[in-house]
Amino acid sequence: MPEKRERYQNRIELLQGTLDLLILQTLQWGPQHGYGISVAIRNRSGEILQVDTGSLYPALHRLEKQKWIKAEWKVSDNKQRAKYYQLTAAGKKQLGRERSKWSQLSDAMAGVLDPEQM
Amino acid sequence: MIFWRRKTREAELDEELRAHLSMSVQTRVDWGADRKEAERAARREFGNVGLVKEVTRDAWGRRWLGDLLGDARYGLRMLRKHPGFTAVAMLTLALGIGSNTAVFSLIDALLLRSLAVPAPRELVRISFGPPGTKGALPDPMFDRLRERQSAFTDLFAWTNAPMVLTEKDVARPITGAYATGSAFPTLQLKPRLGRLLNGQDDEPGGSANGIAAVISEAFWIEHFGGDPRVLGQPITVDGGAATIVGVMPRSFNGITVDYAPQVVLPFAFNVALRRKSSWLNAMGRLKPGVGFAQAQASLATIAEDVVKESLPPNNQRVDYLRNGILSLTPGRTGNSPLGEIYGRELWTLQALVGLLMIICCANLATLELSRTLNRHHELVVRSALGAGRLRLVRQLVAESAILALAGAAAGIVLSQWMSALLVRYIEQSDFPVFLDLRPNAASFAATIALAALTVILTGALPALSLTRVHTEEMLRSGAPRTVSRKRHPFATSLLPVQVALSLLLASLALLFAISTGKLLRMDPGFRVKGITLFDVNFERRPEKGQARLDLYRRMLETLRLAPGVEAASVIAARPLGEGGMHESAAPVEGNGPETKHLFENVVGPEYFATAGTKVLAGREFSQFDRFGGTPVCILNQAAASFFFPRQNALGKHVRSTEPSAARDTCEVIAVVADAKYLSLREPASATIYYPYQQLPTFNWVGFITRSHNTSAAIAAFQNGLRRVAPDTPLFPPITMQRQLEDSIGKERMTAALSLFFGGLALLLTSIGLYGLESQRVAQRRAEIGLRMALGARRKDMLWFILRESAVIFAIGVPIGLALTFAASRFIGAQLYAISPLDPRIYVAAVMALLGAGFLASSIPARRATKVDPMVTLRYE
Repeated sequence: MPEKRERYQNRIELLQGTLDLLILQTLQWGPQHGYGISVAIRNRSGEILQVDTGSLYPALHRLEKQKWIKAEWKVSDNKQRAKYYQLTAAGKKQLGRERSKWSQLSDAMAGVLDPEQM
Repeated sequence: MIFWRRKTREAELDEELRAHLSMSVQTRVDWGADRKEAERAARREFGNVGLVKEVTRDAWGRRWLGDLLGDARYGLRMLRKHPGFTAVAMLTLALGIGSNTAVFSLIDALLLRSLAVPAPRELVRISFGPPGTKGALPDPMFDRLRERQSAFTDLFAWTNAPMVLTEKDVARPITGAYATGSAFPTLQLKPRLGRLLNGQDDEPGGSANGIAAVISEAFWIEHFGGDPRVLGQPITVDGGAATIVGVMPRSFNGITVDYAPQVVLPFAFNVALRRKSSWLNAMGRLKPGVGFAQAQASLATIAEDVVKESLPPNNQRVDYLRNGILSLTPGRTGNSPLGEIYGRELWTLQALVGLLMIICCANLATLELSRTLNRHHELVVRSALGAGRLRLVRQLVAESAILALAGAAAGIVLSQWMSALLVRYIEQSDFPVFLDLRPNAASFAATIALAALTVILTGALPALSLTRVHTEEMLRSGAPRTVSRKRHPFATSLLPVQVALSLLLASLALLFAISTGKLLRMDPGFRVKGITLFDVNFERRPEKGQARLDLYRRMLETLRLAPGVEAASVIAARPLGEGGMHESAAPVEGNGPETKHLFENVVGPEYFATAGTKVLAGREFSQFDRFGGTPVCILNQAAASFFFPRQNALGKHVRSTEPSAARDTCEVIAVVADAKYLSLREPASATIYYPYQQLPTFNWVGFITRSHNTSAAIAAFQNGLRRVAPDTPLFPPITMQRQLEDSIGKERMTAALSLFFGGLALLLTSIGLYGLESQRVAQRRAEIGLRMALGARRKDMLWFILRESAVIFAIGVPIGLALTFAASRFIGAQLYAISPLDPRIYVAAVMALLGAGFLASSIPARRATKVDPMVTLRYE
């Protein structure tokens, strides 16, 4: 058991910043439940990014605790009661920060990996 | 609250994840998959639901709570698995915490608790008397001071007085008090019902509606069934009539902590009844913004004038008044006569039980340590499996917290019983002591603090030092039984401390016990067995003067004729009762008027035969020594040898030098042996006895009887009183034995309790020693087996184990002796006829300790010698 848990924890660590950014970005288009978020990320990434539930839900609950997103129970189109997450004002600001951090990081990565293009 | 919220969150998380799964399934079905297939795929994609839940819960950041519950549950299981340890630990804690709480709640009630009035810190006591005393103020001085003072919002006076309540022609004693009209307004007290006394009630003769009285809530409920129609009811107290106007709140029990008045009357009532001025206990409330020091300074400017203006030029108690000064003391806690008497003894006891608590903690820590050493392997395994050190410490602390909590609960129950016992020691027989000992915030806080201390000392410290586990080393060596050669220094460093403290407690207990034993066995100069003393109050009888004397005579005759009564007489100042009278006198014959202060007593015929005091020369008072005859008196040896050194005192004369003395000279008709009327500790003071029959205005004498059994005397007295003077209130009689024990109540209390605590300390230390040595024998079984296989003899093995105890004692005993020497400086004054440095005490205490220690460690040592080398070696 402990080894398995460790695996999950490692992955959270690996994805932490990135996953938060992905979640916040996805919620920018409107309230969404956990399953919806994972589908959206998978679709938009062209099936490349598979978000693990063991990472997604801790991240969602953590973001909620930090008041960047808030949750509400609603009934979906096909009569399924689900917990919908929604960006808060603080979350929008955080999204901006994370985005600029990410673009700095990716520019820097690109510069290192592919110096001619700079 | 938190649990409940956690439950909802748990349910929500459950539903959230279920929704995820079912949506995932639905999407697959919508895309044309078979439902069963879809469910399987969705679950595969989702992963382990339990695990997802757990990592999500981690994000809530409340993991510690669940862990705590886990720790508690695990701790309980461990405690249940070791019932012996748990029982000893619980008992130790309950005794430690119980005795501390009991002593503390008494100290709190007598010395620390504030009066139940608003802003009690503003209250100040005003007293008059020679420096260092806290005496009452004479009436005129109080009035003058109240007019002149400027630092207080107002002053008030309050005097406790036992009263006689008459109801339907039955008289019975009650607790009462007189208060000035300013008392309740100054105390800012709100009535429970009706109103409290005010200034108008205290006008001479009372207000237009007569004299007003307020009663306590307890009296209201007990006597009037809590009926609100009590207001306006008449009440007859000390033969005077008053009207109940209000009920005092339950929390307020007067301004004396150990005396709860049932009825409070204005002083005007007392003046109307007795037409005499009284001595007043005065208090005041500081004006807002005026500090204590400021009030003192302000008083200093007027004190001298007030004293001079309000004292009559020739007063009876000249010395007392001449040296008298006005002084202030903080009045937050009210008056506490018992607190003043017992304060030092109670703090001594608190120190003793505090030491006992340390021993309890040390003992528990030792037990815990030796138990945890056994669990070393468990700790190592757990830490190898990834438990952090903090986690291990928390586990161990949780266990001791459970123990401490349970111990504190048991301790509180125990303390109730113990404080009732303490009060029994403190209680004087003539009036029940009222003490509010219900557990309150202060004593509860003390208990919690003790429990917390226990957790820290017995859980956290050992845990910290134990959990420094070297996992690899331990696991590699594989056999923890052989590595424990180096025991933990923490465990061994506690035992000498225990030994030292036990020695301290044991020596103090012996000192107190021997000193009290000497007090109890000494010859006080009068008989103790068979003597019974009776108070009587003839104030309501019509007989006065000579007729009153006849009343006494008739009563005395009835008593003497009663079956079972061997002798009876009249006595004013009870031996070892509170107070007495003073007289200053000088011899008539001799070289000059050598005035001496004497203790004065007024007694009847055959008094000395009844009381058992030897008549050394001359004759007793007889029934013929009456008013109008030759004034006679009797001196004790101390007085006779002062006035007439190396002469025969018989037939000589003594002259009273009191300014108001009605009788001028009296003839000494006898010299009697010294008897201790004031205190068993002091040598008997010079005493003069007068016959009551020559003092027709003197009216506060009681009776003394000698009989084989007390109940016969009591029955005789009650019958006699009913016949001679019906409707006289009956006061509870007291035996001389009880009177004597009462008078050394604090010594007996200190001795009994310190013996108990000292014995407990010895027992606890023995248990600690036994625990440690048993542990050691169990751990070193292999080594012992090996040594024995190699030819060591049983005697060697015995010494091998006992050696360690010897080392503990070699360190502990000198420390204990040093502590006791240091402590002896503080208790010297509390001892009677024994030096606190008496070497015999120390020898006895050390012997007791060594005996207990040898007994405790020889059991495990004997076990060590029974080790069968073959068995142990094979086991290894």
